Amino acid sequence: MVDAGFFYSKSIKMNKNQSSYMNPYLAGFLLGMVLLASFVITGRGLGASGAAKSLVLSVVGSSAPEYASSSAFYADFFSGTGPMSSWIVFLTAGLILGGFLSGALGSRLGFKTERGPRIRVAARLWFALAGGLLFGLGAQFARGCTSGAALSGMAVLSTGGMLTMAMIFGTGYLIAYFFRKLWI
Amino acid sequence: MAPLIPQGIINPELNLIFALMLGVGFGYVLEQAGLSSAQKLAGVFYGYDFVVLRVFFTAGITAMTGLLFMNYLGWIDMGLVYINPTFLYSAITGGAIMGFGFILGGYCPGTGIVAAVTGKIDAMLFVLGILIGIFIFGHFFEAFDGLYTGHFLGNIFVYDSIGISRSWFAVLLIAVAITAFIITQMIEDRVNRAEASLISSRPSYFMPSFLILALGIIYLFLPPERASSFREKPPEKIWENVIAGKHMVCPLKVGNQIKNGQDQLKLIDVRSHEEFGEFSLPGAVNIPVEEVLNSRWREFFRNGKREKVFFGNGAGKAAEAYITASRAGYERVFILEGGLNRLFTEVFTDEGIFDTDNRKQARQFFLDGGVKR
Repeated sequence: MVDAGFFYSKSIKMNKNQSSYMNPYLAGFLLGMVLLASFVITGRGLGASGAAKSLVLSVVGSSAPEYASSSAFYADFFSGTGPMSSWIVFLTAGLILGGFLSGALGSRLGFKTERGPRIRVAARLWFALAGGLLFGLGAQFARGCTSGAALSGMAVLSTGGMLTMAMIFGTGYLIAYFFRKLWI
Repeated sequence: MAPLIPQGIINPELNLIFALMLGVGFGYVLEQAGLSSAQKLAGVFYGYDFVVLRVFFTAGITAMTGLLFMNYLGWIDMGLVYINPTFLYSAITGGAIMGFGFILGGYCPGTGIVAAVTGKIDAMLFVLGILIGIFIFGHFFEAFDGLYTGHFLGNIFVYDSIGISRSWFAVLLIAVAITAFIITQMIEDRVNRAEASLISSRPSYFMPSFLILALGIIYLFLPPERASSFREKPPEKIWENVIAGKHMVCPLKVGNQIKNGQDQLKLIDVRSHEEFGEFSLPGAVNIPVEEVLNSRWREFFRNGKREKVFFGNGAGKAAEAYITASRAGYERVFILEGGLNRLFTEVFTDEGIFDTDNRKQARQFFLDGGVKR
């Protein structure tokens, strides 16, 4: 078995007002069913970073058209019906609705900053921004994030998708020790 | 048969409504599972909470098993399903960068968006970071091009890359997932110093996991996959047709149809795309002989009541297409006897311009409306 040498003891505090989370295996099964339904209905899996790209294309394309028209990256903005009326944007709109609905039903709505016990709020927020930046950048290279490349790629057994999945989690485990002060 | 929208079974205009509904399910499950908490998500890397591994792996093998069985039963046409393309270098680079993003940020894009809408301020900054990251990628898009598009291996499957059969890979993946469930539970209990009472009251993963494993093993021992949900036609039947000459369509019949602008026979040009681009018969579709079994044509061959006639320059390629299609169980397929050459030497001779060396003129003739459509 793996030696958990650097793992610190940690107990997760549960707010009494919050209802408890769903059994993760049941949640996984349900998520798998949603993913399967997506394949059956539309022929493609789920995704989350695609809508962020559509948003960037729209904002940059409409506020700085000269800059955007000089780059092949923004070509989608100038062709067709525009990136905001796409499948992926509606999927993400649903993601926002569904997440909010579930949070409301479980009494888990409310402003707070999630952080490890040893990191200050300001530092946590900077790291969150940096993490988002890297995730956004990486998802462009990998043509999808944890949902679009790793999860959907695993369901169809795509080499690229599973390679990306292995790299995300492999890199995470490789560097986790050096960033442990962020979380434990 | 699925996928429903690409097959035209569900109106494509409903596409966006379905996207919204699927998104709601996606977001609901992520939040219900507790994946809107960066602390819970990061737990997978530090051993105190493996919820992300449990949800992610269970979802992956559930969808995979579902797709494998649906494909086996002929309920879904995997040729129309999006298979993530494999660009080797960018898949590795992107994955590694996202690994850093995960540790630093504590979210991935889907969970980050859900966390942001439930009020996590750090998640809001994470989502802002995603947008900045995408902008940066766009800014250096040309510089990244070599890495982004380099080493494209096609839409390949991981079991082919490893060199084992699909069913074995599926069973192995399920076994790996269940092993991971067991080991990570042990790590988690040790890290959190969980008490015995908590461990015994915990919902068990054994039932669902082993149900899926059982399905995987059943899949392993199913008879070889059928190419289509149709029964293949035995060679003897095809031979009987060929001997009786029932598989041939007379050039005169095709010629008359073209002259009269009728369309009882569906004409299929089995020559290459280039040849088709230069010239073909009016109303013909181009299915090069090597693409006959391509899944995108499956519906075309199965549906439609019209007789389908293969033609090439001579009869050789059309005969190959006929045998391939017949063996695959496609009914009502025929060959144009003698191909285009005979059509032009025997049927269209009276027009004068239709000798074999003048295909260009023939094309002009059709295009100029010399023949009624």
